[in-house]
Amino acid sequence: MMNTLRQSGTLLGFLAIVVFFAVQLPDTFLTARNLINITQQLSMLIVVASAMTIVMVMGDFDLSVGSVASLAGVVAAVMFAHDYPVWQGVLAALGMGLLAGLGNGVLVSYVGILPFVATLGTLTVFSGMAFVVSDGKTIYGKDIPAEFSGFARGGWAAEWLGQGMKIPNLTIAALLVLILVWVILEQTTFGRRLYAIGGNREAALLAGLRVKRLRLLAFGLTGLGAAGAGLMYAARVASANPTQGSGLMLDAIAAVFLGMTMSRHGEPRVLFTLVGVLMLGILDNGLTQMKVDSYIREILVGVIVILSVGVAVLTKRQR
Amino acid sequence: MNGQQMEMTMKKWMMAAALAGAGTVAQAETVAVITPYLAQPGTQMYVEGFEAAAEEKGWDVNVVDTAGDVAAAISRIEDAVTQNVDAIVINVDPAQVAAGLIAAEQAGIPVVGMDAGSDPLLAANITSNGYAMAAETAVYVANRLNGEGTVVQFVFDAFPPVQIRGVIADAVFGNYPDIEVLDRITPDVSDGGIADSRAQMEAILAANPDPGSIGAVWAAWDQPALGALQAIQDAGRGDEGIVIVGMDANPQARAAIAEGGNFEASMAQDFEGIGRTTADTVGRLLAGEELRASVIYVPTQLITAANAGE
Repeated sequence: MMNTLRQSGTLLGFLAIVVFFAVQLPDTFLTARNLINITQQLSMLIVVASAMTIVMVMGDFDLSVGSVASLAGVVAAVMFAHDYPVWQGVLAALGMGLLAGLGNGVLVSYVGILPFVATLGTLTVFSGMAFVVSDGKTIYGKDIPAEFSGFARGGWAAEWLGQGMKIPNLTIAALLVLILVWVILEQTTFGRRLYAIGGNREAALLAGLRVKRLRLLAFGLTGLGAAGAGLMYAARVASANPTQGSGLMLDAIAAVFLGMTMSRHGEPRVLFTLVGVLMLGILDNGLTQMKVDSYIREILVGVIVILSVGVAVLTKRQR
Repeated sequence: MNGQQMEMTMKKWMMAAALAGAGTVAQAETVAVITPYLAQPGTQMYVEGFEAAAEEKGWDVNVVDTAGDVAAAISRIEDAVTQNVDAIVINVDPAQVAAGLIAAEQAGIPVVGMDAGSDPLLAANITSNGYAMAAETAVYVANRLNGEGTVVQFVFDAFPPVQIRGVIADAVFGNYPDIEVLDRITPDVSDGGIADSRAQMEAILAANPDPGSIGAVWAAWDQPALGALQAIQDAGRGDEGIVIVGMDANPQARAAIAEGGNFEASMAQDFEGIGRTTADTVGRLLAGEELRASVIYVPTQLITAANAGE
């Protein structure tokens, strides 16, 4: 009983927030346009948080996702500025993200540095590389091809939602990544092995799992996801700057933690991570519409994260 | 009461009558001010000026700072559109938030730039006139030289707002037959601009050893002016009367100007005035006025030893 309450507590909180905004903002909040807007605004965070879920399943962390996102944006933008076609810039950025993630994986699983320390180090390294690659400048304007930034403005026409409505490409991309991560984590042996490592690493090792290689791959996937989010960000702002992804990391970790309060044993589940992301994004959207001061908004978001995780921890202890 | 005043009073009465006739209390206009850069001193002054003017107008202002996150600025613009505010003010490069500006345009909500850069998606941009600023310091130099002497220019043509300053200085000095531009230097700015400007100035001082062979230094912004000042002082040539001018009047430049040495003048932008004028412009748009000029300039001020301490 207590467990069900704990699991559904965050979900109830989420619904309470939605109902609160729906009542406060009757004309604008629960409209198709606003909800579609929110999914577009959250698309980058959905991708980073989904990717972050992969390593957090094993009880690991990746603090470098924000830097990798920034680096991916500038790598693609610098390639565009040198007249490489869009697909090559995108591939180079994704390849860089995969390599960066594998680098984290080597440090964590083969060298054996704690993920917190290893990825804190690479956070700085990748951030520095983003400055070097971009020369510290924001790359924008004619250097960013219209087909790249146009992707973030386009979408699939969805007239059934109302006149002129469309599902944004960014939303579709985020959903595809979410589904992919869900399949990897929940429907493959690879995913189940990651959960086994998260449950008990020693036991997983003794059961014959190649823990080192699995962790390496998991970090690689997280890096790849972070680079994808960085490209989406660069397309949305039609520019790339060496620090633009840095805000994604803390929100992604917060979203995974919020999601963890909803699962049976407190393990990360990517669909619950999505609920965490939606919670953060809906708070931002609703509080802006209610004209709550942006600094107060930040305090509120932090308090709500602590509250939900705190309630989950307390009810778990009572069990 | 002259005719114009009469007309104004009439208008006020007519408006009051219209409001009374509608039988409703006038709803306060809502304006969202969105910027990723509120932590920067200049932006804070814009916003303070805007808020002060908006308060007088009785507007409901919501200032949103996204702490450096440009994508979040787009999201907040979209939220303001959803919320159906009466106007949006931005202080961020419009090209980077075009996705949000398109949403505002589709909803018919005017967006005004507060020193944001011009863009067809903005109803107006309020800023300082870089051409006028450059003209003032260039003419200051020409007058101090009595139209005769040599000038060293520090320019940076790769950055458009600074490039236009250089163009004006070229024109002013070119218009004086007895002023000769000794050198037109683009300093390396990766170290902030002071150190390399100083090194370049040292080389010029060495190449022109005679007192009076360098009349003035015209810098397109303050850092090269400060670098040149250091070079001149360290070479022991501070008493030759070389005139230095910069631009932007940053605190370090103001301090140097206040000392009354070679660094004689710079230009100060009126950040609060930009904020106030932005509010006035929003007011004009809300009143249904069509703006002819989409770039609106706020006057700048020449800073010399007489007013550097203010």
